Amino acid sequence: MKESEGLADFHWMFDMLHHIDVGLVVLNTKYEIQLWNSFMENHSGVSSSIAKQQSLLTLFPDLDASWLRQKLDNVFGLKTPIFISWEQRPNLFPFKSYRPITGVSDKMYQNVAIRPISEPDGSIKHLCLVVYDVTDIAVNKTALSTANARLQRLTKALSK
Amino acid sequence: MSTRVLICDDSKIARKQLTRILPTDWDVEVEYAEHGQEALDILSSSVFDILFLDLNMPVKDGYETLEALQSFTQSPAVIVVSGDVQPKAIERVKNMGAVAFHKKPAEADELRALLISLELFSADQNENHTNTHVVTAAEQFSLNECLQEISNIAMGRAASVLANMLNVFIKLPVPKVNILEVGELQMALDYSVKEDSCSAVSQGFVGSGIAFEALLIFSDSSFPDMAELLGVTEEITRELETELLMDVSSVLVGPFMQAIGKQLNIDFSHSHPVLLGQHVKIKDIINAKRTTWKRTLAVEIVYEVENYQINCDLMLLFTEDSVATLENLLSFLAEDE
Repeated sequence: MKESEGLADFHWMFDMLHHIDVGLVVLNTKYEIQLWNSFMENHSGVSSSIAKQQSLLTLFPDLDASWLRQKLDNVFGLKTPIFISWEQRPNLFPFKSYRPITGVSDKMYQNVAIRPISEPDGSIKHLCLVVYDVTDIAVNKTALSTANARLQRLTKALSK
Repeated sequence: MSTRVLICDDSKIARKQLTRILPTDWDVEVEYAEHGQEALDILSSSVFDILFLDLNMPVKDGYETLEALQSFTQSPAVIVVSGDVQPKAIERVKNMGAVAFHKKPAEADELRALLISLELFSADQNENHTNTHVVTAAEQFSLNECLQEISNIAMGRAASVLANMLNVFIKLPVPKVNILEVGELQMALDYSVKEDSCSAVSQGFVGSGIAFEALLIFSDSSFPDMAELLGVTEEITRELETELLMDVSSVLVGPFMQAIGKQLNIDFSHSHPVLLGQHVKIKDIINAKRTTWKRTLAVEIVYEVENYQINCDLMLLFTEDSVATLENLLSFLAEDE
């Protein structure tokens, strides 16, 4: 009885993680992909069966490999999560925006968190990349800064 | 003597699909009509045993055809085959003289069982008979035809969910498929939403190299009736309008997308729906100056609720780079059925 309950729990958990509107990737110490959820599948066009066991760095050759390797190694070494903001790397993964027609941006802006996953014995053999779509925030913030800059210029011009 | 069968459907794929699933040991002679009027013309000059009739068709739809058939002295047994699976649609066609209703796309086993139960076909009559109606594989389908048909089926499912929830009858039109440029899309929207102000919700979908948006536009005069339908008695505030919009769009877009995904065999990722504007001019929904896309493949469906002033326009807008993938996928679909 308990075992089947455990299995049901696992099923829910898996369904939830697979379909959540956030990108989830699990890597081992060789940067090989262990988990690739449907957000990653659908936005990259690479299915989970193809992505699995491949190195993240070879799957996306355009990623800045040495830069990313350093980030990943830091998480393994320091056992602490690190964050990559859209303001430093707007499109870490080359994904398109969700609303290409009515939206303003054709690229998806992303915030990425890299978190260590600890084993039962406390060692870190895997880490998890969490990819958030922040296109709307990025577009709005950019529009706001542009408007502010224009206002400032106008105020200066008027006060002269 | 062979049984004479007339298949009436505006979709070439649907006609082909139905022909393929007729019992293979059935001695039949099949003819086709592309809409109700053509079927009536054929039926008035010669006698058929069975008419498979679609409901949503141009020129003369299924209901009008059934009505016209009532004055025929010798009319065939009519089996309605439609994607519109609203209970009221089924009830309506039966009241108008159809002997049965079958959902689309039909499956061979189910159709066989139905024909046997109606005593239109008995399995042992011609055991060694092989079919005379072999459809050539060379038949080509255009992307438009394929898209129109899968939208048709998806539309029927969505309407059925809504109809069940609200106990109303949703009028289903024939979906329109077009390649549109930015300006043309604005014109198309302008034309379908005849009023000055409207409200719109858009949700993004992506999967297997296909990306599109489901854009749902309501004319603002729909709100009072929408509230009445959903049993809302409070005063309609802006927040309440947003809630009505979100509710109706979830109910309309959700089942529609589920049906599309099922047919294409894609588990789409979808964004949170975004309120594009409330009480705005239609041309402001799509900012022509700021768009970077040039052309879009658009599927347009205009839903109307019978006896209510509710008008909503559902547009599926595919990106240009999805078209090739979609074409590829749909050609498999047309082959496999």
